Order: sequence, then structure tokens, then C-alpha cells
Amino acid sequence: MNKIPVLIDEKKLEVDPHRTILEVCREHDIEILTMCHLKGIADIGSCRLCLVEVEGINKLMSACTTKVTANMVISTATERIKKYQRITTELFFAERNHVCAVCVSNGSCELQELGYKTGVDNIRYPHLFPQCNVDTSHPWYVMDHNRCIMCTRCVRVCNEVEGAHNWDIKNRGHQVRIISDFDTPWGASTTCTSCGKCLHACPTGAIWPKAIVQGQLVKNPGMITELVEKRKMRL
Amino acid sequence: MTKKKLATIWLGGCSGCHMSLLDIDERILDVVKLADIVKSPVVDGKELPEVDIALVEGSITSDEHYKEILHIRKQAKTLIALGDCAVMTNVTGMRNYFPLKEVVDAAYVNAVSNDGQGELPNHPCLLRLNDKVVPLQEVVKVDFVIPGCPPDADTIFYVLAEFLNDRLPDLGKTKKLKYG
Ligand code: SF4
Ligand code: SF4
Ligand code: FES
Repeated sequence: MNKIPVLIDEKKLEVDPHRTILEVCREHDIEILTMCHLKGIADIGSCRLCLVEVEGINKLMSACTTKVTANMVISTATERIKKYQRITTELFFAERNHVCAVCVSNGSCELQELGYKTGVDNIRYPHLFPQCNVDTSHPWYVMDHNRCIMCTRCVRVCNEVEGAHNWDIKNRGHQVRIISDFDTPWGASTTCTSCGKCLHACPTGAIWPKAIVQGQLVKNPGMITELVEKRKMRL
Repeated sequence: MTKKKLATIWLGGCSGCHMSLLDIDERILDVVKLADIVKSPVVDGKELPEVDIALVEGSITSDEHYKEILHIRKQAKTLIALGDCAVMTNVTGMRNYFPLKEVVDAAYVNAVSNDGQGELPNHPCLLRLNDKVVPLQEVVKVDFVIPGCPPDADTIFYVLAEFLNDRLPDLGKTKKLKYG
């Protein structure tokens, strides 16, 4: 396939067409922050962290859903981008109830890492402190809506990789919630196969196995990517 | 260099941040070379005089804390929020998900250990809980924040040493940012 020239952060690159800016950047070790992206499942461009500036386009573009075109001029780390990434990260913390000190994910959480990377030392917006459900009805797993950032990685992995479509979404705005089946307890699900893929796909301490306690959660989202790759190769 | 005045204050927190402060161990000697600790839960100072640095642990949970933080702000040149509770309410703020009455009833009235005899403490000398717990920055201007539950002793010492030597610490650049 013919390669096309692009300029990313002033670096001249020859890349395959039909690829997203994110894919190209990752291949060339250019760091892009992501949260809703998980390699192996469909990109939906919802978290707005992977923002890049493209010359000639006024608005910021999501790298995970924008394809490269010939002679595209892309910047990935401008002050404008950093400003919005920090705001977005702070809003994740302000929207639900993240109490890292008592969280299973403490110390191995993608949201914490994101906070450190974007330099969040305090939250400049008032916390909403919503009253959120903790669904413990499943025999092995817990769904704690306090810590969900609505990346929908669980929804997509359950639908696209496991083929079960247990998870979906209800409501809009800050009332939006992940639901099991038709908004019934997870333990009563007739679709969940208890495979645990959602648990590994989830970037935070929102989905976790009952067998662990504070700070012990170790997730392996790369397992999803590997599984999808192997299926493609019919391994 | 004239010696600076340092205060450490314990508001709505568990004192874990102060425990972590004590964990700077013998480095406390480096601190007292540069500053007098004029008020702290670990020294016997009563009124808060004017200070160069006030390290404040905990959130604002009551009328008393509210008055105290306004006073601290007046007295301190540099006000540092110490720990997740002071910075973003943390565990102290978990009661915010429920109406205050439900929370205090759960502890004082409905708890099984009360044997059905529990009642709300209501003595005039007790503090009054605010409806919602808020971080320091929602009441006063905060000059620097050290998140963490608790922040590492090394981080606390780093921040203190920087301020005491008239430098500005940077938790991001020094990779000392931590929550939880
Ligand atoms: S999910 Fe992550 S950011 Fe949220 S409370 Fe848990 S460790 Fe903290
Ligand atoms: S439960 Fe986890 S994976 Fe699912 S939307 Fe929430 S944060 Fe994302
Ligand atoms: S990773 Fe691109 S919008 Fe979330």
C-alpha cells in the first residue's frame, strides 16, 4: 500500500493511510493520553482525552477516531490540548465519588495515572457527590458506580468480544449510568456469562472481583487486545 | 536568614497526615533549624500567631472548622492543604452522599450497639456539623496542595524544605503527585 506523508509534532513521517492518528502516534512512540480507547474494541471518541490539533481545522480532534490524510499537520502536546486534558480529568473526579484511599484500584488505576500525567493536584470544580449504587448481586464481581467514568469499555468488550451484551447505558448527562440487562441487578442477568472481560477492560475500580480488598486490584486490559488479535489469526 | 514560623493544624481528618509528618523522622531537625513550630497537635501551642507556613490537615466539616480556617488564612502567609481530605474531602466527604440527618442517626440513634437508647448529642459546647463537608479551597484561598492519603513523609519534607528555603515546590515535575 502506498504510504502518505504526515507531519506530527514537526516530525516528518511516512505512514499507512486508513489509520487513525492515534494508531500512527502509538506506532511512532508519540504519547497520546486515552481513556475510552482500548485496542481491540471499536473506538467511539467519548472521553475527549486524545485530543490533537490539526492544521486548518479550528476544533480539537479526537486522535482515536480521526484518520490520517496526506500532508496532515498534527500537534499532540500544545498548551491548548494540555489545558483541556486537565479540565476533563478534573471533571472525571468531580462527577462521581473517587475516594482513592479506600478503593480496590488504588495504586493501579488508569484514572489516577491520568491525573498524575495531566498534573491534577486539586479539583477546581465542586464535587457533585451523587448517591451511587454499588451492585454486589453478582456471585463473584462488584459494580461500583461511584468509580465509573462512563468510558463504556465494559459495554463494548461485553458486546463485541464476549458477544453477551449484558452491559448498556441509561440516561443522559451526569445522570448517565451503566446498566446490566434492562436495568436489573447484575446477579439476575440472563446474558452475563461471568467471563470477567469487563473487569479487565475497566480502567478504574468500578468493576472488581469480590475476592480482593483495598489497593489489591490488578487488571490486564492488554488481555482483551491479545484475545482479539489471536482470534484474527485464528490461533 | 531569620527563622520562619511554622504551624500544623488538624481539622476534619484522621490525623494520618500528621503521623506521616512525624515519619520524616530525624529530618525534623532540619526543619527546626529553619523554623520554629509554634502550633501543632504535637507541640503545646495554644493560639495561632502569625506564621509563615500553615500545614492544614482535614476538610471543613463544622462551624468550628469554618471559623478556624478563616483565622488560619488571616494568620498564615502560606497556607498548605495537607492530604486528600484537605484537598478534595476524601473519606471525610463520604457522608456528603447522604443527608446529614441520615448519617448522624446511623451513628448515634440507629446503630445496633445503642440498644435502642441512642440519641443525638446536643450539648451547647459541641461543634455543629455543616450539611456538607468541603475542601479547604472552597472556603479560603489555598497556596499549595499536597494530595495523598496520607502524603508520603518524603513528599511532606520536600515541600517544607522548599518553602523554608524560599523555593516553590513542584509535585508534578518531581513525580510526587499521589492520591490515596
Ligand atoms: S477508581 Fe481510581 S481514581 Fe477512582 S477512587 Fe479508585 S483508585 Fe481513585
Ligand atoms: S464500569 Fe468501568 S469500563 Fe464500564 S464505563 Fe464505567 S469505568 Fe468504563
Ligand atoms: S481515547 Fe479518544 S476520545 Fe477517548
